[in-house]
Amino acid sequence: MSWWDKLVAFIPLELVQGLGVTGKYLFRKKVTVQYPEQRLEPKDRFRGMFGFSEERCIVCHNCAKACPIDIIHITDHFEESVVDGKKRKKKVLDRYDIDLKRCMFCGLCEEACPTKPVAIWLTTKTYETAAYERNERLYLDKVRLQTWDGVLPFPGVKAPAEGGMPEDPKAEKKAAGGEGA
Amino acid sequence: MPEPLMTYLVIPLVKIVVILLVLILGAAYLTFFERKILAYIQIRLGPNRVGPKGWLQAIADALKLFVKEDLTPARSEKFVFLLAPVLIIVPALLVFAVIPFGPSDIWRLTDINVALLFVLGVSSVGIYGIILGGWSSNNKYSLMGGLRSAAQLISYEVPMGFAVVTVVVMAGSLSLVRIVEVQRELGVWFFLPGIVALFVYFVCGVAETNRNPFDLPEAESELVGGFHTEYSGMKWAFFFLGEYANMIVISAMATVLFFGGWLPPFPNLLEPLWTSSALAWVPPPFWFLLKVAAFIFLYMWFRGTFPRYRFDQLMRLGWKVLLPVSLANLMVVALGVLMLGERS
Repeated sequence: MSWWDKLVAFIPLELVQGLGVTGKYLFRKKVTVQYPEQRLEPKDRFRGMFGFSEERCIVCHNCAKACPIDIIHITDHFEESVVDGKKRKKKVLDRYDIDLKRCMFCGLCEEACPTKPVAIWLTTKTYETAAYERNERLYLDKVRLQTWDGVLPFPGVKAPAEGGMPEDPKAEKKAAGGEGA
Repeated sequence: MPEPLMTYLVIPLVKIVVILLVLILGAAYLTFFERKILAYIQIRLGPNRVGPKGWLQAIADALKLFVKEDLTPARSEKFVFLLAPVLIIVPALLVFAVIPFGPSDIWRLTDINVALLFVLGVSSVGIYGIILGGWSSNNKYSLMGGLRSAAQLISYEVPMGFAVVTVVVMAGSLSLVRIVEVQRELGVWFFLPGIVALFVYFVCGVAETNRNPFDLPEAESELVGGFHTEYSGMKWAFFFLGEYANMIVISAMATVLFFGGWLPPFPNLLEPLWTSSALAWVPPPFWFLLKVAAFIFLYMWFRGTFPRYRFDQLMRLGWKVLLPVSLANLMVVALGVLMLGERS
């Protein structure tokens, strides 16, 4: 290193380079989403708020068994009826509760559901489930699961009571190009 | 009203009030601009909810600080704890007594012939606020912050002094008004012959105001909040106002010393433009404030760019780089002045 190089090394060009980088970012398009006014649409694989359909549920308890933290509580009883002269026993749902406080939205209940289309599904894009009263708002019984009482549906997704129930959520996902299989 | 009363009491008082109001409001709004600029550098939007485009954010912050609870640690040194924020903001505001905003007497409070010495002396008092605040909090993080600040300010005061002396050699005067006048007479601002001095001065200025990348006394990630960890409410606000006022002081001094104070760009070359056209109505303080604003923007740009120095790096930079550089520069400049014989 000659004395001239040593002298030039004193000129702090690197500092100017660094300032140039941040200076460029100063004029970049900003990425902030102004939340209450603007919302991001979740991807199709997003596991959002529950939906539940009592008509389609066969009361098999598979979802309750699949739940890793046992927050789905199901009770039922048999009802006997006579159809075409034969005695038929049919399971009737008394209680279908989901303790949403502890739910981690793993989606295993949805995967375990044998009905087609599934009676319980997590495919809606609702993520705004914040509440003031957790025991009131985040404990869903079967009525509230079907009406989404107190939970605003995501824009573009209708509540089950308003006909938001997809005929075949998996097929819808496929059509939307979300999941492969 | 008798004439002396008007000249020596009323007019200065009015000026003092105006300067204080502008300064404190400006310091409050600097926090807003800083948040905004930092946000833009980080591709965010920054505060934009309070008022139109977030312009009332600074007011909202000030109101919040006014009503916040003012805590004093139980085993602190109560009087010193109270004194420290005052000690940090008063010198910062006091410096503006001698800073000339414009050419005539209306635009400045006073012009004393040792103004530069006054500025250096008074602004050095501010360090006591930091040390005493850190010590009286009875908190090890605060004490660490205060000690770091003391070491840092003592180290950087020296090269800063030499950088300022370079300007004094070139101007041949300690009066800030005279320094600007000399720059106008010579037709060249001192940042051209004193580019090294300007660099040393501004780096030291950043270090003296405890700003990034020299913010070791505060160092949120290491010392919680440094010397003002235990402060809250208005006392804390005083520390922050002091810091921002000091930023304005350093920027204003850099403007006066190196960038021709209130002079418009190319004051001699484009003289007809500045004296006869529509631009003649632009008051001189406009140019002054424009330059100061540019320096303050540089401060914030630095904060968005540079990572914090380690303490040993800080000391090495101060003593082993800036001090020799400023000394050598002073010798070169003094020799140049001697050779050219511009001033005696």
